[in-house]
Amino acid sequence: MFCIAAFIILVIMAAFSAKYRRYVGTAWNCTWRRVTFRPCDTTFKQDIKDHLLAPVAVRRPGLVKPASVGLEILAVLVLLTTIWSGYTVVKSAVNLYVYGTCNKQDSASCTLGAEACSIPDETPGFMESLGEFDVLGAFGNEFASLGETFAAIPARFQTWTSEDYLPANASYLTEDAANPVAVEVIDPGCTFCKALFQNIEESGFEQNYNLTYIAYPIAGTDGYKFPNSLLVTQYLEALRLHPVDGAETPVDWQVLERIFTEKAETGLPWQETINSMDADEAAATLVDWLGEFGLSADQIDVIVTEAGSETVADVIAANKTLVEEEIATVKIPTIIFDGRRHDGLVSVDGLQ
Amino acid sequence: MKRSTLFRRPAAAPLDTGRQGDFGYLQPGEIYLDAACQSLRPQPVIDALTDYYTTYNACGGRVKYAWGQKVDRSVADTRQAVLGLLGLSAKNYAVSFTLNTTFGLNLLLQQLPLGRFDRVVTSHIEHNSVFLPTITAARRLGVERLVLDRATDGALLYEPAQLEKAVVVVNAASNIDGRRLTNLADLVRDTHARGGIVIVDAAQAMGHGRDLLQKTEADAVCFSAHKMYGASLGVVVARHDLLTSLELGFVGGGMVQDVREEDFDLVQGDPAALLEPGLQAWGEIIALGRAIQWLGTIRPGGLAPAEYLGALSVRLHDGLAAIPGLTLMAPEPSPVISVYAPAQDSHRLAVFLSHSRISVRSGYFCAHHYLKEQLGLPPLLRFSLGLHSTESDIDTATQALARLMKGLS
Repeated sequence: MFCIAAFIILVIMAAFSAKYRRYVGTAWNCTWRRVTFRPCDTTFKQDIKDHLLAPVAVRRPGLVKPASVGLEILAVLVLLTTIWSGYTVVKSAVNLYVYGTCNKQDSASCTLGAEACSIPDETPGFMESLGEFDVLGAFGNEFASLGETFAAIPARFQTWTSEDYLPANASYLTEDAANPVAVEVIDPGCTFCKALFQNIEESGFEQNYNLTYIAYPIAGTDGYKFPNSLLVTQYLEALRLHPVDGAETPVDWQVLERIFTEKAETGLPWQETINSMDADEAAATLVDWLGEFGLSADQIDVIVTEAGSETVADVIAANKTLVEEEIATVKIPTIIFDGRRHDGLVSVDGLQ
Repeated sequence: MKRSTLFRRPAAAPLDTGRQGDFGYLQPGEIYLDAACQSLRPQPVIDALTDYYTTYNACGGRVKYAWGQKVDRSVADTRQAVLGLLGLSAKNYAVSFTLNTTFGLNLLLQQLPLGRFDRVVTSHIEHNSVFLPTITAARRLGVERLVLDRATDGALLYEPAQLEKAVVVVNAASNIDGRRLTNLADLVRDTHARGGIVIVDAAQAMGHGRDLLQKTEADAVCFSAHKMYGASLGVVVARHDLLTSLELGFVGGGMVQDVREEDFDLVQGDPAALLEPGLQAWGEIIALGRAIQWLGTIRPGGLAPAEYLGALSVRLHDGLAAIPGLTLMAPEPSPVISVYAPAQDSHRLAVFLSHSRISVRSGYFCAHHYLKEQLGLPPLLRFSLGLHSTESDIDTATQALARLMKGLS
């Protein structure tokens, strides 16, 4: 154990100082013997330990024994942390490749991937489980998550056909029979969805693709990540169930456009304003907007009633399954077009 | 708040004024107690070597210019000084220079004539420089090899019949515990009486125990200049008849007076050359001459070197014997004292002492067979004194070891 730890430390130190390089070969021989289940070169181990303990021995010989035990413990910790670090690097790299984020549980925390709102994983993390003395659960969840990631690798090689992931009652921002279909997964409260919408408009993406969306309110630890996302989603799905004839742009898209691109009288963007409202205020605002978008009082009543219906609840549940199990993304927004799945915010260039 | 002393270096021990002078270059606080491996060189020896390199750095032997002739004269003086040191005559003995004691012993043992000897005799306490070549020599000669015991006073324990046509190779002083070959004269007499020869490993004796070798009639004495205050060099003092009887397999320039396509003629009248193929370490040979001269004049503390070291040996022996948990290998004081602590690792102790700038040797000191195989001992710790050593060195070292032993137990 000590040899392996010494090798790890010497390799790091040798990268910065030539004086340690001469020891790396010796340490490697010792490490190789250990990993091939042969006795370590005890001279090397003893030499390293003795040199480390010498300053203590000269001043306080009585502390040598406890210091020696401390070194052994330190060696174990160095080894364990190195193994854990290596494992984490590999896991993060695979996650980055598969999901576009190095941290599957909290994708927004990974700066290597595209910006996005993360879909939190409710499964307790490794350290969290250990903290609760659930060792089996810690390793079980960890390896289950790893297995899930590896199982998802083939998905990166597949050709993503947008039509396979269309939600019920899909509505399109613009529609041209000659254009291919694009599907985005969005949460109306997610700021990166707002940014994606702005990129879409700036790039003219909607002129080249028949763009539709799956509204997916991201769950939070207590309800939803953005408190009014579910409400907005309910209205969007109700509007899709009862499309207004003759509208140049579907009314649900008009609602999204307002949330993502316009500002309230206070000067704050509507998305931020909606996110900070209580449910009643948000509902009243949406009702006002429906009036502005040309819906009659009766039509508004229908929409309000439908928003709270079982039908809409079923649609939202079906979309949730579609996002989590079929698309299997952990980042919002996600957009499928051009045969690929793009996780997180896509730039204007990327959309072009 | 009181500052922790845990990581502060201890203050350097005050130096004995006796060290100023020929070993004045030693840094304050440095305590070197590994003279059995290599003695520190006194300043005059260093100066002699430097003088050679800086003022007449020439080859000897084949040179007609002034520098070369000066080298030849100095080398000849050194050969004479070596013989003088042992009280031997150039009529019977020649002095050859080589790499070290091990190399000298091998040059002799691996070139002994076939058919002349019936056995190779050595002892258990030998250094590997003797122990190993006697194994290969016996194999080459196709004879048996006897490994005999040594008495606590160092005498070789033998039956005269065991010396019949024997090549006896033994040390004059042990590098483990300093015990001396007290029956050397009897051994030589008995061996010669039965047609054998005696080759002495004098590596540990030449520095401080030459009295044993004075006017010896042994057939060869091998030693190292670097254990007797000279530069790194091996020396073989051998009888002419032994040298001329060798079946030379190791040959080169400097040994021949003529060379033909398929044969050569060895130099005549210079038996020393038979062990000196190729260019010699001229500077080191010259430095040895200066070391011998220095040994003849040095009076540390106003005492003869042997007396001075004798007093230090007693002090070291007593100091080590007073440390609980330590076992001394020899009951009597000597400039070389090995100890071990059953509960402590000697290598670790050596590292810890080194951190206090105390240099001592740990391990089996190239006597693996005796210490490890025969006695079954753990690695040992060895303290060996030289003329640079002082009472302060010894006291500091024994106190440091005592403190370590107490703290580690």
